[in-house]
Amino acid sequence: MSKGIAKEEEPPSAGVAPAESPAFASLRGVQWRVNLGILPRSSSIDDLRRVNADSRRRYAGLRRQLLVDPHVPRNGASNPLNLVMDNPLSQNPDSTWSRFFQNAELEKMVNQDLSRLYPEHESYFQMPGCQGMLRRILLLWCLRHPECSYRQGMHELLAPLLYVLHIDVEHLSEVRKLYEDQFIDKFDGFPFEENGDAYNFDFKKISDSLEDEIGCQGNTKKVCSLNDLDPEIQAIVLLSDAYGAEGELGIVLSEKFMEHDAYCMFDALMTGARGSVAMADFFSSTPAAEFQSGLPPVIEASAALYHLLSIVDSSLHTHLVELGVEPQYFALRWLRVLFGREFSLQNLLVIWDEIFAEDNSPLNKVSEDCDYFSFNLADSCRGGLISAMAVSMILYLRSSLLATETATYCLQRLLKFPESINLKKLIEKAKSLQILALESNKAPLSSAFGGVYKCTKSPTSSHSVPSGSGSPKTARSLLPDSYWEEKWRVMHKAEELRQNSLGKHTPSGKKRWAERMNFRPSRTESAPSSARNEKCKKEHHSVRRSFLEDLTKQLGLEDAAENGGCFETSNSEDHHSVEAQGDGQNSASKGSISTTEDRCENGSGAVVSEEKSFFPDPPTPPGCSINDHEIDSEKSSSTSNLSVDDNGDLWGRSPEDLQHRVSLPSDDVPRSPLHENESSGRTSSTKERRNLSGKFQWFRKFGRSNVSEETSDESGGTNETAKPPVHDSKRSTADSSVVDASCNSHPTSKGDTMDQNMMGTLKNLGQAMLDHIQVLESVFQQNQGQVGSLDNLSKNILVGKGQVTAITALKELRKMSNLLSEM
Amino acid sequence: MVLVLALGDLHIPHRAADLPPKFKSMLVPGKIQHIICTGNLCIKEVQEYLKTLCPDLHITRGEYDDETRYPETKTLTIGQFKLGLCHGHQVIPWGDLDSLAMLQRQLDVDILVTGHTHQFTAYKHEGGVVINPGSATGAFSSITYDVNPSFVLMDIDGLRVVVYVYELIDGEVKVDKIDFKKTAASTHSAH
Repeated sequence: MSKGIAKEEEPPSAGVAPAESPAFASLRGVQWRVNLGILPRSSSIDDLRRVNADSRRRYAGLRRQLLVDPHVPRNGASNPLNLVMDNPLSQNPDSTWSRFFQNAELEKMVNQDLSRLYPEHESYFQMPGCQGMLRRILLLWCLRHPECSYRQGMHELLAPLLYVLHIDVEHLSEVRKLYEDQFIDKFDGFPFEENGDAYNFDFKKISDSLEDEIGCQGNTKKVCSLNDLDPEIQAIVLLSDAYGAEGELGIVLSEKFMEHDAYCMFDALMTGARGSVAMADFFSSTPAAEFQSGLPPVIEASAALYHLLSIVDSSLHTHLVELGVEPQYFALRWLRVLFGREFSLQNLLVIWDEIFAEDNSPLNKVSEDCDYFSFNLADSCRGGLISAMAVSMILYLRSSLLATETATYCLQRLLKFPESINLKKLIEKAKSLQILALESNKAPLSSAFGGVYKCTKSPTSSHSVPSGSGSPKTARSLLPDSYWEEKWRVMHKAEELRQNSLGKHTPSGKKRWAERMNFRPSRTESAPSSARNEKCKKEHHSVRRSFLEDLTKQLGLEDAAENGGCFETSNSEDHHSVEAQGDGQNSASKGSISTTEDRCENGSGAVVSEEKSFFPDPPTPPGCSINDHEIDSEKSSSTSNLSVDDNGDLWGRSPEDLQHRVSLPSDDVPRSPLHENESSGRTSSTKERRNLSGKFQWFRKFGRSNVSEETSDESGGTNETAKPPVHDSKRSTADSSVVDASCNSHPTSKGDTMDQNMMGTLKNLGQAMLDHIQVLESVFQQNQGQVGSLDNLSKNILVGKGQVTAITALKELRKMSNLLSEM
Repeated sequence: MVLVLALGDLHIPHRAADLPPKFKSMLVPGKIQHIICTGNLCIKEVQEYLKTLCPDLHITRGEYDDETRYPETKTLTIGQFKLGLCHGHQVIPWGDLDSLAMLQRQLDVDILVTGHTHQFTAYKHEGGVVINPGSATGAFSSITYDVNPSFVLMDIDGLRVVVYVYELIDGEVKVDKIDFKKTAASTHSAH
């Protein structure tokens, strides 16, 4: 098996091997060690062996020093003085026991990762010997570098290094089989061992016959002496000669010292060996002092990627930036593990061949011009190739990335790099981009991180992509330290939600509302949409700002896909949270309260669709405060009416909410008499209106509620018959407080429970929505007839307009409910 | 490598208010895997405190314990060693080695831990070890004068146990160490 692998290795690396040591083309381990700077590039085998031996000695010393066995007394016999320090309960941080406990903690972390390492190559990586070596190497490195400690992903950098050494050793053993005598000490069969009187005249005869014998023997065995061998094999033999420089310690391909060699490689890779690219930087979350930007290195490197991408393919770059796909979402994993998780092991080895072949010494030390910023990643050939590789990977997925409209899909594509790829082309592309990367390392500061946090310079005015999708909220902080699986799980959950609300296409984009709110206050052209989106959330959740922020984050986590997902899922969240509080309220028969709750959510849904189609309308603040007044009247009667059993406690909370909400708006419009008239004869429609208007109190800040109010106006105007306002107010307070309660309880009922009940609630929702729509439509039709008769109202015109828009909204609602019910 | 804490005779709240602060600062959760307590805690709060140090807690009943449902004796196996636990007031004469050896043979254990005398002792006897961790609070005892707070930590590692004795003498914590090894095939242990 390894022979096959060795053969595969040869072609690609053959072209890369530096001219001095072509003999190492098939020995990746040695080649990489040379490239990483552990072994010298000189062609002398002896030098190689010496340096190798030195590095191994260093490792052995480190191992002895740092791996602590508390039972072994450090300074001879233990006297009582030592014991006070050295007992297991000692609080002294220097004692062997406390170091032992610290090591134990570190080891626990390492073990967690190691158990999950390369499950597809289990036969090698899960062997106890291999695992033990990996564990020790990682432990020792982390103990040696306490400032970095252990981070997830380091084990994945180390594993291929060890694997490569293992392959080399296997290759060696095969060569050994083929060329046995080069390796074994056999001195039989030499003419000197013949008797001393070989030097008489008979010698010729004897020696001839002997030589013939030897010749035959030799021919059956092997070629000749060392120098007649293939240079490759020759190198291997010399490298493994037990009598060469440094003896056994100097044998370059040695199974016994695999751990030592792997440690050296890992160390060189992580610390960069005085070069420019040090992998350890990618694991640290603190900005390094010498970098110009105040950012963690990984963020900076991701920005470098995007910078290069913007030069190479600006349309793709702008597309990704507009979608809100920040580079570090995927680049974190790519960079930290040097693409270890994107490719299969064999492909990865090829890629690392290329990367390590590049020189790592820094190219330009200081950028003189302080307006310009040079990325550290592109500061060396190796770094340039790494960023070029990443960019070529992005370009490989270009078509699928440009086609998707959601950040989630983009990230899905980027994080799940396709299996079967044309690696050669990828690498060629990377090489061609590398030059570009190195040259274009100067970027104006403002745009250097344009794709990262500030406004992008790319034109966005014409951009009205309805790419409604919140990027996963997990990366809100500068450097998301969470593991990519976590992110993937979050996104996957969001994807599920998206799947569930399939086909719902909220028109004219809820664009990345959460992100808008948190990241880019400067995107003014999207402010109305963001306002609308915020409102969409707010109608479901508390008005209190901070509360809302938390909830948007949660919502972002839960419904990352926004195409219709927002309102459906939030509806169902409310739905579910309502369920969580009481039992099965969506399944009716809780009296009017439950149905109103249903409808209130549907009403909120209706409102959402309404507002969506209304977005070009300018806000009218006076309109909103109508509802406040209404709520005032409600509030006065609310407390006495809150007698719902199962939501008792939540109802209790709602008056305060109402009060809080009411206290916020400033102006008051004397339209209340109209609203008193809202208490109408037809229960369902008035409840409807109440629901709608109850929702609108949340919108007053954004002034979206003008038309909706008019619809309620008109219904109020038309319905002259008076139902006791108390009764209705009770209902609407119930509605509003339900939604309140739902939003209050929302943080408690997390999205994970939501997923479970999603389907059921959506179905019920769809059904309820249908009923709702029918009612609304019937009401509208009646109102249409009646509006004409009311000529005393000056708002007739407005009412008519509102009616039309309401009807269109209803149509949309109907469509949505059809889709829902199809599920 | 298992750390086992052995202590007892705290007599909280009757004869002592609490463990000495120096002892308390040393006993942090997370390091110790088992706690064996000879008895006379006496109240539930002490048991709860010990539970926070380590979830695996074994207690035998002392004559002043409030909780009546602790057993009189207990045996457990940790690693290669069998441990026996008893308060010791049942074994008369109190603190007598031969009588305790009888109990050890009866329970068939390698390490017997008893208390009641409020005095630390550790004997190697007939292939076994008899340990008395003393009183962790230094509570008054009618049979011993000059009681020093003490407890015992055992480090069980394969066939070898290292016994660390922590004593509070004149306000300072003194630590001592005793090594015991058990021969593989028999219950008798050699030095």
